[in-house]
Formats: sequence, C-alpha cells, structure tokens
Amino acid sequence: MSEQRRSHRPAVSRRTFLRTIGIGAAVVAPGLSAVPARAQETPSPIRPDPAAKRGGTLRYAVHNAPAHFDVHQSGTVANIGPQSPMYDTLLRRDPKDGQTIIPDLAWKYEISPDGKKYTFYLRKGVKFHDGADFTADDVRATYERIARPPKGVVIPRTPLFATVGDIVVVNPHQVEFRMTEPRPRAYMLGAFASGWNIIVRKKTLEENGGNLRQVMNYPGTGPFKHVQRKDKEVWIMERNPNYWNKGLPYVDKLEVYHMFPFSPELGSSFLAGKVDYARLLDPVSWRKAKEMSGVTAAAFNQSVIQAFWCNEKKNKALADPRVRRAIHLAMDRHALIEVVKDTAPMQIGGFVYPFHEMSTPKAELEKKLGYQKDVKPAVQEARKLMAEAGYGQGLKGLDFVVRDIQTFKLWAVAIQAMLKEHINVETNLRVVQTSVWFDEAAAGNFDLAISAIVSTLMDPSDIFSAWYGKNGPQNYGSWVNEPFHDLAAQIEKELDTKKRTAMVRRAEDMLEKDPPLIPVAYEQIYDAWYNKVRGQNPSTYFGIYDVVRWDQVWMAT
Amino acid sequence: MRKYLARRAIFALGTLLGVSMIIFVVLRVLPGDPLVAILGVEGHARMQPADRVRIMADLGLSDPLPVQYVHWLGDIASGQLGKSFFRGDTVRDLILHRGPLSAEIALLALIISWLVGLPAGIASAVRPNGWLDAVARVVSIVFIAVPGFWLGLLIVLALLFWFGYKAPIIIVHVWENPWQNLQQVIGPAIVLGLAQGAYISRMSRSCLLEVIREDYVRTARAKGANEKAIVLRHALPNAILPVITISGVLLGFVLGGSVAVEQAFGVPGLGRALVTAIIERDIIVVQNLVLLYAAIFVLVNVLVDLSYAWLDPRIRY
Repeated sequence: MSEQRRSHRPAVSRRTFLRTIGIGAAVVAPGLSAVPARAQETPSPIRPDPAAKRGGTLRYAVHNAPAHFDVHQSGTVANIGPQSPMYDTLLRRDPKDGQTIIPDLAWKYEISPDGKKYTFYLRKGVKFHDGADFTADDVRATYERIARPPKGVVIPRTPLFATVGDIVVVNPHQVEFRMTEPRPRAYMLGAFASGWNIIVRKKTLEENGGNLRQVMNYPGTGPFKHVQRKDKEVWIMERNPNYWNKGLPYVDKLEVYHMFPFSPELGSSFLAGKVDYARLLDPVSWRKAKEMSGVTAAAFNQSVIQAFWCNEKKNKALADPRVRRAIHLAMDRHALIEVVKDTAPMQIGGFVYPFHEMSTPKAELEKKLGYQKDVKPAVQEARKLMAEAGYGQGLKGLDFVVRDIQTFKLWAVAIQAMLKEHINVETNLRVVQTSVWFDEAAAGNFDLAISAIVSTLMDPSDIFSAWYGKNGPQNYGSWVNEPFHDLAAQIEKELDTKKRTAMVRRAEDMLEKDPPLIPVAYEQIYDAWYNKVRGQNPSTYFGIYDVVRWDQVWMAT
Repeated sequence: MRKYLARRAIFALGTLLGVSMIIFVVLRVLPGDPLVAILGVEGHARMQPADRVRIMADLGLSDPLPVQYVHWLGDIASGQLGKSFFRGDTVRDLILHRGPLSAEIALLALIISWLVGLPAGIASAVRPNGWLDAVARVVSIVFIAVPGFWLGLLIVLALLFWFGYKAPIIIVHVWENPWQNLQQVIGPAIVLGLAQGAYISRMSRSCLLEVIREDYVRTARAKGANEKAIVLRHALPNAILPVITISGVLLGFVLGGSVAVEQAFGVPGLGRALVTAIIERDIIVVQNLVLLYAAIFVLVNVLVDLSYAWLDPRIRY
C-alpha cells in the first residue's frame, strides 16, 4: 500500500491539502472522542461539598462482628458494615438516593448494542492501601473469582454473573466482560454496582489461595484504611490520605461498633450518645430517637423477605396449589405486622419487592385477597379452596419448623392460631437454632417452615431464580411450575423495560395462584443519627449492602 | 498438708478431665454447625456438598471425635487453647483481653456480697423477728427471687432514661482508665453481689442464731461481756465457716450469672463472649470458656477448703 502511494503520489495544491485535512479531521474527530485512550477521565460524581467540614470521628454502630473477613463470600452486613469503607467497586449507587448507578473505579462504561459486551474504563493513578497500582488485572481477578469461585469458596453473588463468559484485559485501564447471552441493563449494572463486589488485588487472592476468610486486613482502594480491630467490639479506620477521589473522605477517623441488631444494647448506646449513627435499631429505641431533638430517624426498605414455606415433596396435601393458596389467604398480614411491631419493622408485600417499580403497586395489592385489612373474603375463599382440594376438614399434625429468632417465634404462634381458626390446619411448632433451620430446610425435613431470606438485587430476575427457581438455592418447598419457569427465563433475557414489567405482573399472578412460598412481610431498616452527622440520608435506599462507604459524610461541630 | 494438697490436685484434674469430656461430647451432639454463621444465609443456601466437606475439614470438624479431643488437649497444653472458627483469633487472646473485666466483676460482686450480706445477717440474728430482721429477710428474698439479667436491664434503662447515661461500650481496662473501668464493672457487680449477698445474709443469720444459743455465749453474757464483743469476737468466728463454704459455691453462681448479667449491661466480658460463641456455634470458644469456668470453680473450692484450717485451728489436713 505504501509502495503504491509512493509511486502514484498525486500532485495537490496547498489549499486542496488543507481542505482535505480539515474535512478529514471533522470526520475523524467524533470517532476519536470515543477512543478511550484519548478520552478525558471524568471525576467521580461524588464531589466534595463546599459546605462540608474536614475532620472529626464518626462513631457508627452496626450488627455484631463478622464471622470472617471475606466480603465476597459473605451475605451479612456484619462484613459490609465495617469493611466496605476500605474498598471500592467498579460502579456504585449514588449515596444521595441509594438508587442511581454512578461510576466508581470505572470512570466510564459502555454496553454494546446487543448487550453482550460491557467495557469498563478504569481510573488511572488509583492505589491500593499497600501502595500497589490498581489495574485491569485486579478487576479481572476479582470478577473471575466472583463468577467462577475456586473450590471451597462460596460466593452468593455468583449467579448474577452466570452469563459472564470471558473477562478480557484490553489494557491496564480497560477491561471487557463478554457475555454468553445478554441480560437486562438494570440487572447487570445493579450487579456491578453491588456493594459486595469490592475490588481486591490479584496478588492478595494469589497469596491466599483465593480464600480471604481469615485475612483480616487485605488492601483495598477505599476512602478509609484499617487501623485496629478489637474483636466483637470495634473496628477503627483512618482517612486514606491518598484516596483517588481528592478531597474525600471528610472524617479523619471511622469507628464501627459491633452490636447485635435490634438489641437493647444498640438502642441504649445510641440514645446515650455513645455512637453518632445507629443502624438496625429496634422499633422502641427508634421511636424514642425520633422524639429526641437533634436526632434524625429514617426508615427504608431492606432486601429481605420474611417467608413461610410449604414442603411439597414431603406432604402430598401441600403439593396442591389450592391448599397453598388457601394457607396464603388464611394469613392476616396486617395482624402479623402488628404482632411484631415492637420487635422489628415490617411492611406488606406480595411475591416481588413491593417497592420495586415492576411489582404491583401497594394500593392495588391491598385490594387483592390475602392483603386486605378485612380478612373475611380471603378466609371464605381459602375455605372454598380447601374444600375443592378435598381437605375441607382441614389438616392435622403438620411439622412447623420455626427459626429461633424473636419475630419468627411470635409469628409462628399467631400463624398457628390463624391456620387453625381459618382453615382448620393444625400444626406442631418446632423451634430450632438458625443453623439447624437451614439444614432442615435444605434437607426438606419440615411440612411448614418460617424464616427470612435475602437477595442481592431488587430486580425480579434475581429473586425469580434464587427464591422461586426450579433449582433455586432458597426454593425450600421444592416448588415446580414449568410455565412460570419459562416465563422467568424470558423475563431474565427481556431487554425492553415495558415488556418486562408486563411479564413480571403476569408472573406475580401465576405466583398468587400457585405460591412457591408465602410472603409474610418485607423487612424495613430503622436508622437514626445525631444531626451533626451530615451528608447521608438513607430514606430512599434499598437494603444496607450497597451504600456504606461514608466517604461523603462529614461531621458538623 | 502436702499430701492433702496433692490429693486435691489429682482430684481436681480428674474433675476437669471429666468436665472437658462432657463439654466436648455435648457440643458435638447438639444439632447445628457454624456454617450458617460463617457463610451467611445466602452462602449457606448455595453451598454444594463438596464445599461443606471441604470447609468442615478446614475447621477440623471432620476428624474422628477422639482425634478432635486429643487436638483440643494439645491446644490446652500449648496454652493457645485453639483458634476461633471465625476470625482466627486464639481463645487465649480472647481470655487475656476480656478475662480481666469478668474477673473484676466477680471479685467486686464477692466483696459487695460480703459487705452487704454479713452485716444484714448479723443485724437479723442479733434482734431476731425485729423490724430490722423483717426488712433484711424481705429484701434478701427479693434479691434471691429477681433474675439478675432482668434487674440489670432495669438499671440500664433507668440510668438511660432518667440520666441519659450508659457505661463505656468497649473494654476499658483498669490500668487504662480506672474511672471508666469502674463504670463498666460496677453495675454487673452490684446486681450479682446483691443476689449473692442475700444468700450470705440468710446463711449468716441462721448460723449466728445457732451459735448465739451456745453455752459459751451464754457464759460470756453472764460474765457481763459487751454484747458487740460477744457477737463479733466470740460468736461470729464460729458461725463464719458455713458462710465461707457457701461463698465458694456462690462464686459458681456469680460465674454463671455473669453470662446473662454482662449481656444485660452490654459489658464485653467473657460472659458475653460465651453468649456470642454459642449463637455462632463457635464450639472451640465455647468449650474452652466453659472449661475455664469449671477450672475456676474447682480452684475456688480447693481454696475454701484450705481456708478452713486457717480459720479454725481445730481443723488439720
């Protein structure tokens, strides 16, 4: 080609040459701006607040101490609470609303039109706390581990990345996720922005055989650095002076106190001013805090469903959808929420998070049987269904396994009475310790069972596979409904939000008629903080796992 | 005396060995394992059978029971007492960090129980069926009947709602800040001390009443001795032995009661560590702490026996 040019070089005038250059530049310029290597790295949308003050110590109380230190392997706020401030993620939820997905270690991302390639452009100059540079290799190692955990490592978020094929390092600051099939944009971005998916060093994983359970202080890139940990008491961190988001964090010191959720100890510590911010307060302390001057109290949605399972494999009667729907209708949910109002905050919901944009709106839901304040119509329908199924006389001697936690014990007694009174179903309560409950549930040693389960995302596809999926890890009732599973598979792939919403509503209707579990209530979180803590209000947050970095929070004097 | 000590030491070791076997077996027979606490609910639900096998092997829980028991004895012999399943800390570190706080509470409770119980018992015995006796008996029955953790919760709530006060929430050792340390231990010590003081009061009352009716006390009175001297110098030394015995037994109650009372007051001592370990099914921590409590109980009872010889010249070993 170059030879040809040399031999047939046309003669051009200076004007023609400059015009050609000008037109060429105009054509090429927009393309160039899309070339990442020359693109301008944008700062984090979380910018320092001009009104904010630097310095001070934030004393934050949340949950008891973690059982281990591997955030990826964890499913509890015991890890996220103290460890999250030391790490960053590729994307994150904006702390202003807890919903909007914004850049983090990736300053920009692109999704291919067919939804099968996610490209992340990584920030330059980011350093881990041990001084090492952050590169695309660390992202690849982190996500290879999450998507395909090594043996003996169990990561609850693995299914979110089931369609991630190759993770390709394009250059030290660009990484591509190539999908085997597309997933809805909100679903995948939510997965990447999950607070659980912290970026850890490739070297750290290699040095510890891929298992960080016993590694207390592994380097992150986050706004705070580890200083000291007193087991089951407090985890102390200091401001990372080299944090890539210049000007943040504001507070010099972060003290995370370990206290049991909903405990009098947590409530009394907050009310006595021993901590500045308390999460998972019991309702009594929270109401007291709400009355105090100089204190703000907020309630927000949690990614937990309080549920009741019927074992279809063990009990023939419970395999009949009419019997399960009858049990579903026999529950007076408003009364159940009242029963535990001083123990834990709850709200009514159906089979999809009641606050999710695709689920049936609350006002509409409360018109449906099973969710109304007046339970008579629902009970009438329940009795009719039992009679149609051939169990008009009721059922006797059902083994009702109850997790040994106050809310479940209170509910179990109330549900036992409701089932007996409304549809003549007699149950024998068996209260067991938490680990026994999960072993019994997984082994199918129960007729009825009550507990709570969590999800990572609010997206229906996450819960449709984990809670209601044919082989879903939390499908304890061994529920199978082929038309639903087919629909759930379509919902998982559907990229159009409008169509997807319609499909989710159809799925809800199917679940109402043939319940895989019976939703008792959806948990809420009670937080309270002294007004000197500025920069965060979780009222619109979903869950307690995504926005817990404290980089934007400051202390007013 | 040496022979007696050697005999008691051998007996104590045998007792502790027996206790260790019982604890070991009971903790392994009880249903439940630490995997839910380690992996979380979601992780546990997604765990494959192969993962379970691997993790249980890593924790040393898939070895045969005799092997696990021998490993534990080895850990005791090494002084490390094994590692927590969870965060990898040794139980020795846990005891060294939290033990002083619990020891202070036990010691203070013992002192309070004597300071309150003995004078109340003496006052009751000196004027039996008088108003002071009636008050002391009612109060002692109340403190015996009321559960310590409930009283503890009431005190915590009263201090909080009336004075906005709560003791420090993390461990403050006496050598770091004596005032803050006192705030941490005084509440549980008072609750436990008053409950034990009630027993001491009742025991010292009945023992003194018995001794006061003895001939030598009547003789002392007949000779015109001062009543105070009669009670304190003649009757009390002879009535005190059963009170000391019961104090040794009561220390067991203090240790046991401290588990719930520390929880009620939110004091991060060994009692609270035991509660957390039970919830987490951290059996290595549980078995070592229970054995520690048993060892303290055995040791205190040996010391009580030895104190007899010192207090009563008629007793020789």
